[in-house]
Amino acid sequence: MNRFPILKIVITHLTGRRRQTIVAMLGVTFGITVFIFQAGVITGLQDFFIEKTINATAHIQIYQDKNRKSPPILRNVYSEDETWISVPNIKNKKTLPKLKRGLQIVEILESYPEVTGVSPGLSTQAIFKIGVTDISGIINGVDIRKENQLFDLEQDMVSGSIIRLETVNNGIILGSGLAESLATLLNDNITVISPDGIALQMKVVGILNTGLRELDESRAYSSIRNAQKLMNVTGNYITNINIKLEDVDQSGTLAREFQSRFGYTAIDWKEANEGIFSVFRIQNIVTYLVIISILLVSGFGIFNILSMMIYEKMNDIAILKSIGYTDVDIRNVFLLEALFIGFFGGLAGLMVGFVISWITSIIPTNIEGFVSSEYLSINFDPAFYLLAFIFGLVATGIAGYLPAKKASKIDPINIIRSQ
Amino acid sequence: MKKVLETINLNKYFYKPVKFHVLKDINLSIYSGEFAAIVGPSGSGKSTLLYALSSLDREYEGEVLFDEIDLKTLTNPKLAHLRNKSIGFIFQFHYLLADFTALDNVMLPGLKLSELNHEDLEVKAMNKLELLGIADQALKKVNQLSGGEQQRVSIARALINEPRIIFCDEPTGNLDSKNAMIVFDMLKNLTREFDQTILMVTHDDSFSSATDRQIQLFDGKIIDKL
Repeated sequence: MNRFPILKIVITHLTGRRRQTIVAMLGVTFGITVFIFQAGVITGLQDFFIEKTINATAHIQIYQDKNRKSPPILRNVYSEDETWISVPNIKNKKTLPKLKRGLQIVEILESYPEVTGVSPGLSTQAIFKIGVTDISGIINGVDIRKENQLFDLEQDMVSGSIIRLETVNNGIILGSGLAESLATLLNDNITVISPDGIALQMKVVGILNTGLRELDESRAYSSIRNAQKLMNVTGNYITNINIKLEDVDQSGTLAREFQSRFGYTAIDWKEANEGIFSVFRIQNIVTYLVIISILLVSGFGIFNILSMMIYEKMNDIAILKSIGYTDVDIRNVFLLEALFIGFFGGLAGLMVGFVISWITSIIPTNIEGFVSSEYLSINFDPAFYLLAFIFGLVATGIAGYLPAKKASKIDPINIIRSQ
Repeated sequence: MKKVLETINLNKYFYKPVKFHVLKDINLSIYSGEFAAIVGPSGSGKSTLLYALSSLDREYEGEVLFDEIDLKTLTNPKLAHLRNKSIGFIFQFHYLLADFTALDNVMLPGLKLSELNHEDLEVKAMNKLELLGIADQALKKVNQLSGGEQQRVSIARALINEPRIIFCDEPTGNLDSKNAMIVFDMLKNLTREFDQTILMVTHDDSFSSATDRQIQLFDGKIIDKL
């Protein structure tokens, strides 16, 4: 006989009702599989996007926020506590988006040990025109070497090369989506028109595909000088500074520091992509709701099966109690049965979930959403597997505890007397 | 002789379907080594008395003292320990775990008590089965045994922890006369050779008359003590 009589009773009960046991296990397996797969796909996609975003956008961006409302000038004279002031139709003072002492700021930034790269530049909206087609977008005037150091643009080039931005007069690099919309090819000439009405003939020296669709459809690069020409400014006029950090997680605190130090708006990449992150949060909530409801359903399955089992095994319970097994022993029998179902169902779920995720990750999908990628990138983080497993055990434990508690309360005299 | 069991003014009522006075002012003692039988016509409260004496039923008025401990004062775990160590049960329907072997069933109370290690316990369980003449059936599942054999397995199970007292509720009631005789002789043998205290409920006069003492129950009252 088994050294652990309780364990043996558990196994006897479970194998005695093999079909129900398997159905209950499948419930858990299904729940865990969905957990693994869904969490893997969703967070894989999110991580992929975040990685792309971190690579393709600055960790911190410093610029002057032109759209900040200026307070009414009367506030300088009358304090807020004493006087009501109502000034309708306040218009902002005409200020250039120029970062004053921009190049000094760049030098100061470069001296920070946390900062790995700084790229000053200027950007403006522009209309790209070829023949009768025109599309609006953003043109960034950059020092292409520095920009490349930050964003590894060279790697994303579909055709042409970044260095021709320096060698070709009036060169421009287009995002792949933009180039497609304009139907331009390498070495085509296009016209770029700035909001100030300045038009410039430019030659396409490269096409860039970062995988972030929004960027690829609107962004173009030129040299700083050409962008300055478009904006009708000269000299060391720059409008923004892009910064890469050693450690991305520091971006929030450093952004605040830069903002107070230089007096210009400094936002980190999370803030710049706030919209996407709130979508992620909602996605995660939905994912967890789905998983919890599946586990809830399998929990009810376990509850039912154990309740039936207890009804059937009334005699066994009465026997065990009459020969000296305690309430706790009886409770443990049924609790263990639930945990067995949870454990093996969960283990199977982890394996099935892994296999399905793995198969999905090697099938080409060619998704074109806000990111484009040939394969679905799936997260195989072991933390999910652990979490899913614990989740499954807790759910089955709770589902098993209630009937087990009920079984432990059974008074053997009621069973024996009724015979 | 030492008292194993004593009742003081034991009264028991059934409340469903109507209030009914089942046991009336029962005062009795069971002594160590005794082979006693509770007898009486059906409905006289024999089994009810046995359940109250054997700690299974604790909803009564008055006191039941087991080795001078009031059963009502025991907590559930203590009560379970008492049943495990000091009490053996033999019921009319054999109440064995059907999916287990005879040996497993006999060992169950011993495993719970865990005073012996596994090997010694197994040897002891085999000895008990041997004593009851069914050692050759030890590894069969109990649902493959005959009624008489099953009842002998439950006697072996009752004996495994060497209890102070064994309670039998119509132990021969479900057996044919030949098997009934065998089982009864074995119980008697236990009292004679091993000084085992046994309290038995039976309606069969041919068996009860062969015990040391008959407790006559009529309408919930003890009418005659010998």
